[in-house]
This record gives sequence, structure tokens and C-alpha cells, in this order.
Amino acid sequence: MSKFATFSNTRPTSARLLKAVFAMVVVMLIVSYVLSPSTDIYIATAGAMAVSVMGLSILTGFSGQVSIGNAGFMAIGAYTTAIWANHHEHFPIVLSLFGSMAVGALGGIILGLPATRLRGPYLAGMTLAFGYVMSPFIQSLGGFTGGSGGLYFPVLTTPTWFTSLVGESDNLIGANARYQAVLAVVVAGVALFFAANLSNSRVGRAMRLVRDDDVAAELVGVNLARTRVTAFAVSAALAALGGSLLALVAGGVTSSAYGVALSIELLSLLVLGGMGSISGAIIAGILAAYTDVLMTKVNSLTGIDPYSNLGANMKGIIFGALLIAMMLAAPLGVVGLAKSLFAKLKGSRTSAK
Amino acid sequence: MSDVFLGVTNGVLYGLIALSLVIVWRSTSILNFAQGAMAMFAAYLGMTLSSHGLNFWACFAIAIAAGFALGGLTERVLVRPLYKRPEINSIVVMVGFLGVLESAAAAIWSTAPRTLESPFSQVYFEHHNSTISLSPFAVFQIVSALVIMTAVGAIFRYTNLGLQLRAAALAPEVARLLGVRVNRLLTFGWMLSSAAGVVAAVVISSSGSTGLTPTVMDGFFVFGFIAAAVGGLDSPIGAVVAGLMIGLVQQFLQDYAPSGVSSFAPVIILVVALMIRPQGLFSTMKARRV
Repeated sequence: MSKFATFSNTRPTSARLLKAVFAMVVVMLIVSYVLSPSTDIYIATAGAMAVSVMGLSILTGFSGQVSIGNAGFMAIGAYTTAIWANHHEHFPIVLSLFGSMAVGALGGIILGLPATRLRGPYLAGMTLAFGYVMSPFIQSLGGFTGGSGGLYFPVLTTPTWFTSLVGESDNLIGANARYQAVLAVVVAGVALFFAANLSNSRVGRAMRLVRDDDVAAELVGVNLARTRVTAFAVSAALAALGGSLLALVAGGVTSSAYGVALSIELLSLLVLGGMGSISGAIIAGILAAYTDVLMTKVNSLTGIDPYSNLGANMKGIIFGALLIAMMLAAPLGVVGLAKSLFAKLKGSRTSAK
Repeated sequence: MSDVFLGVTNGVLYGLIALSLVIVWRSTSILNFAQGAMAMFAAYLGMTLSSHGLNFWACFAIAIAAGFALGGLTERVLVRPLYKRPEINSIVVMVGFLGVLESAAAAIWSTAPRTLESPFSQVYFEHHNSTISLSPFAVFQIVSALVIMTAVGAIFRYTNLGLQLRAAALAPEVARLLGVRVNRLLTFGWMLSSAAGVVAAVVISSSGSTGLTPTVMDGFFVFGFIAAAVGGLDSPIGAVVAGLMIGLVQQFLQDYAPSGVSSFAPVIILVVALMIRPQGLFSTMKARRV
């Protein structure tokens, strides 16, 4: 079957979680203080996108079900947060994040149930249809979702304890950005920790067995339907969490941003980073946050006018081309490439599969 | 009654796109997610020439020729390395190709809608002083879709080429031993499918209501895929019938159901149909039950 990243069978402990999240926050703060405070907003986006890509990674990388509609789940999460924030003056962030995840997971179960009877291209086509109808569906519920104009709410402001602990962000660059970045990093760290834990758990192993050989999985007593629906629910919950974070950082949401194009971008990021791997999702998140910066670089290097049609669409062309090239040449993504390179350098005969 | 006409007008196009998906699926077991985008791209090529003063029919012919070329090229360059790979690879590659084509079209022709002026009026016919929701343009739309469907059907059923195509799809090894040039036929299948899709794209983009944009085929592709899946991905007749059915259902929902329901309807139709018969309503193949 296909080549995917392999895992160690040890499950990370909660002590490791604390250490990892703490290390990520410290690194992030050092970057923010020392290098440039303007990275804050990128870090916030990177955290949100890493979570979203991880969601797709669990569905596609772990359980082998390709989705071209995960942006739809992101939209569910973003709108849950936005609607919640519009109806309650004070909303605890943790609650709205969990609320979005719960609604997203519900959506995942509803879509996942019929998906258990579908395979491969049928399934991918169904998720595409779901992703395609999501934006018009949201817009048709105008009274609730603000229609095509989108839904806005007060931006996440820095609480006083945060200011006294780590200081405020530079108002010239973006008030509250540092707080948002720390929030995104903590949420992403916790979410990725649970994803890593899931990967090596009984459920995660069942997912990979279903992906590689569903008949064998059934023979050893894995409940195929339940495993597939679980993958859908977890994937949708993480996508919704990512969407919720994006909405919190932006202080609003518009449905047209969560169309098929974003689903394709998610898939590109997943394939670029590496399917089914935690580090792949982090790489993908950082890549997503810095795409626009990179594109500006590409345009200035090649001398393409960024406001021309070509300059504005370079991103889509490059992402699509990379998606094709990676899938034909290196299905394991950047992480896989690095691993096999590392294995070669070590001269070990067992290279990463 | 007006719903029936409007539904059929869209339904034949869904059927045509579904048919082009079925042609490729039967021969190569690949679902071409870039089908709509390829057709859109070829339609743009035709449209560009129309702005240089060529008439509609010449542009139509050139777009179809471009569709043949694009289909062949795609099969040779992108699809051929995928045959022995797991299906996840082919899905991802075709989705990537969809992204490339849509962005490239936006880069070359911008996202502003263009129209390819057709020689047919879009004013509804009148009958006994009451208008019926059918225009000369809609008739042209239905007729051209039916012509292509019949032509594809005739090629498969009555010509030697069609026999070879079916043989290559059914038993490639045996066909190869009997002297059928299977690789060449797979390329031809993709060319045929791509050209059939182009007819749909040209017809869609020459109607004033939509025009030609890089993403104009997204919605039609989704409905075309649903039609193909509901009909059974290996059944040409199923694809056409399901396309018409979906056109009608969609039109009735749009007029009589709340807007939330009608916009979510495609997914519901697909899910319900596949719950009843996972292999598709008209498929002759046994679906694998797991």
C-alpha cells in the first residue's frame, strides 16, 4: 500500500505535554521579543492552521479517507465561535473553543456516518460536495450568520494578568497580537499532543490498519464503521478548533473564505508537510502563515507585479503544482524526505518507510 | 411546468459532465476531479479567439479541439504515472491539477466573467400569450448535450474503436494480447471525456446568466459528480438519467423548499441515494461491501 510516516509506539505523557507546550511558548516569546514583534500575527495563524491541517491529517493520513471539504468544518467552528460571541457579551475563550469543537465533531459524525459506506473517490467527491455547499448554506441562514457579509465580534483583548506577566504587544504592529499568538500556540500544542496520543493509541492503530487493509482490520475485530466515523469526528473537531482560532484572531468570519479553495490549500499543506505526522502539521501551519510573505518574495524575485493577475494567482499555481509534484515524487512530504535523508546519512538499512 | 423545463436544461448538462466522468472512470478507475476545470480552460481558449473576431461555431470547434488535446496531454503526463499507485495518490494529484488550472485561468484571463456570445436568443418562447420557461438558447443547450451523449454512446456501441475501448477497460491484459493498443486507447478515452466536458463548459459559459469565470464549473462539477455517483460511476445511461433527475429535483427544491434546504440538497441527494444503493442506482458492478 501507500507509504506513510511511521510512529514510535510510546505514547507521550502529560508531563511531556507540559514541557512541549511550555517550550513552544518560550520559543515563541523569544522570537516575539528578540527577533521581531511582527511575527506574532503569523504565529497565531500558524497555530490555527497547524491544528486544521492536523485534523485533515488524522482523516487522510491515519484512516486513509481523503477529504476535499475540511474547510467546511473550519467554517462550522468559526461560525460557532462568532455566533456565540455575538450573543454573549463576555465569552470565556476556552468555552467557545470547546463549543466550536463539539459542534464541529457533530458535523463530522453526521457526514461520517454515510461516509462509512463509501470508499476512495466516492468519499472524496462527497466531501467536495459538502465543502462546496457549505458557503451558500451559511449565507442562506442570513439572519443567524450575517449572510454573505460575514459575522463580526469584538476582537480578543489582552487580559491584565497577561500584560503584567509578559508585557503588552507593540500597539503599532497590532494590539493584542502577542496574547493571541500565545493562545494559539498553547491551543495548538494541546491539540497536537492529543493527536500524537491518539496516533499511538488503540484507536489510532485501528485507523491505520483500516487504511492499509480494511479486510484484515475487520478480521482482527476492528469495527470499521466506528473507526471511520471516529476519524471523521476527530478530524472535524480539530478543523473546527482551527477555524474557531482563526475567527478569534481575526475578530470575524466570512463564509466565502472557507470555500473549496481553502480545502485544496489544506490538502496541499498536508501533503507538503507530510501526512499523518505531528511535525508535518507544524511545518504546514508555519508554511500557511508565511505563504503570503513567501509569495511577495517570489513576485519580487521574478519581477512579477503582485497586483497583476499572474502575481495574485501565483500562490494557487505553485500550491497546486507542488501538490502534484509531491504526490508523484515524495508522498511523505517534507518530514518524510528529511527522515529518509537522515536514514541514508546514518547508513542504516531500514530507511523510513 | 416551467420547473420541468428549467430542471431539464440544467439536468442535461449535469448528465453530460457525469457521462464524461464515467468514460474516464470505466477505463482507468480514476475520478477526474479536474474534469470541470479542464473544460473551463479549453472554453477560455475558444473564448480568447472569439474576441479576435471568430464566430461562435468556430470558437466552439476550437474549444472542443483544445479539449481533446488537453485530455490527451493530461493522461500522458499526469495520469499515466498513477495507474499502479494507490487511489489516494490519483485523488490528490487530480485535485492539485484542479487548483493549478483554476489559478492559471485566473492569472491569464482574470476572474472577471466573460461571455462567449451565442447566436441564440435567451428570451423565452411564447405560447398562447403565456411564456414558457424555454428559450432558443435552452433548446440549443439541451440539443447539444443530447447530440454529444448520443455520439459518445454510438462510438462505444457501434464502432470498432468503441469495442476496443470497452475491451481495454474490461480486460486490459487480454485486450493487449489480442492486439488492442491499450495505452493509446486509454489516452483516447481521456481525450473523448475531456472534449465532452468542453461542450458542457462552452454551453454554460455562453449563457448570459453565468458567463465564463475560472470557477464557473465548480458547481456543475459537483452536481455532475453527484449524478455520476448516484447513477453508478460505471454506467453511462445511469449518469445521464441521474443527471436529469438531479436537475429536476434541484429546480423543484429551489422553488418550493426553504433556501437552507435547497443549498444543502446536493449532499442530501448523494447521501440518500448511496445509502439505498452504495454502488449507484444503475451500476452493473457489485459494490464491495465492507
